[in-house]
Amino acid sequence: MPVSSQILRPVGTHFIVLTFLAALLGNLLPWQATLANFAPDFVALLLIYWTLNQPRRIGVGVGFLLGILMDVGDGTVLGQHALAYSVIAFLTLWRNRQISVAPFWQQAISAFLLLLLSQLIMYLVRSTMGAPFVGWSYFAGPVIAAPLWTPLANLMLMHQRMGAPEEL
Amino acid sequence: MQSTQPAFFKQGPKPATRLAIFAVLSLALMAGDTRYHMLGVMRQQVSVALYPLQWLATAPFTLFRTSRDFLTRQADLLEENRQLNDAQLSATALAQRVKQLEQENIQLRGLNEAQRTLPKPSQLAEILYNSRDAFAAKLILNRGETHGITAGRIVADASGLVGQIVRVQPMTSEIRLLTDNNHMVPVVVERNQLRTVVYGRGREQALEVRNMASNVDIQPGDILVTSGIDGLYPAGLPVAKVENVDRQSAFARIFCSPLAGIGQHRFLLVLEEASPLPPYPTAASAPAAAGKKKRKGH
Repeated sequence: MPVSSQILRPVGTHFIVLTFLAALLGNLLPWQATLANFAPDFVALLLIYWTLNQPRRIGVGVGFLLGILMDVGDGTVLGQHALAYSVIAFLTLWRNRQISVAPFWQQAISAFLLLLLSQLIMYLVRSTMGAPFVGWSYFAGPVIAAPLWTPLANLMLMHQRMGAPEEL
Repeated sequence: MQSTQPAFFKQGPKPATRLAIFAVLSLALMAGDTRYHMLGVMRQQVSVALYPLQWLATAPFTLFRTSRDFLTRQADLLEENRQLNDAQLSATALAQRVKQLEQENIQLRGLNEAQRTLPKPSQLAEILYNSRDAFAAKLILNRGETHGITAGRIVADASGLVGQIVRVQPMTSEIRLLTDNNHMVPVVVERNQLRTVVYGRGREQALEVRNMASNVDIQPGDILVTSGIDGLYPAGLPVAKVENVDRQSAFARIFCSPLAGIGQHRFLLVLEEASPLPPYPTAASAPAAAGKKKRKGH
């Protein structure tokens, strides 16, 4: 989160799990199949968010597990999402301090780049296995996901702001 | 953050180490999945765990569809019902037409077959209408003088004799049906070759074999075929089937039903002009048959 004048309430593990479940749900929605590449990758987005905000709890391992789930859910090569999510979780952890104090719109740019990287990794994995190039629309998801960053961050913080004093 | 933590904050391996571990794990999974196909079981396990989420993701859509169907407005249903009724009506009409065409087709096929097997060449004619004369069983055909039809021709369908042409106009001709009152056809009983004559008794009435002794050897179920004795009807054309034999009086009353579908079809066969009679064994019967034909024809 950007530099804040608020003291936020701690986040319960249940809440994190719940949000991840919701994100998985979002990724598994039936319309994902029809819109294919244009749908934002909610799981990756949320992984970046939580890695940014709860680096002690959420990281590479959680990314890997979520990746496995997504691989099974999407029916892709097992390990494809896992690798991509591990990498972006690591990068988020690596630059955690720089990103977490930036304003939301700058965080959105970082998230955009990370999501793009995730797609790129998955594309590279598949093309290594001989899959043909599926078109530039494969990278359209992050473009749509990036503007969602600010609303998402505010939505998540709403929970932590509840009952917290307005000022320090 | 974690990479710069002092050692007393115990939190496992560094992120880079974790990344290395998980990346290797991912690559191993990929290799195992694509090269060796040995991760089917694992995929199954995970998918079982994932199933509730998948169900939950699709449930709202299913529910939405179900409830939308449930809440469809009455008017929509009425409208749809009306449309379906209309569609059904037109479909029924169409189906009936198809059925009729099918029947007609069957009959035409039968006639075609009959045309080939009949002893004489023949011409196909369509029934225009029933004669309006209530006292005679007659039909009007769409073939006339211009088509080479002459009076005295025999008309048959696929299953038997129908009648005889009695009047010819340029474009149409008139058939006197087998069932017309006092229309006579010389026949033989197919079973025992008993010669006799079958009489018509009027429209929609059974045919009758008259003047036979009450102990005559004719049984219900016997088939009567033309004998060819008169030289007009070709021999062997099926005419009627004996339905009922009443032996109570001095003469047997034998009622028969025509084999041809009289009053059923739209197409009939007009047999060609009687060819010169084949040499007949008895010289005496030939003039008699010719005389009978003359009377009967008009």
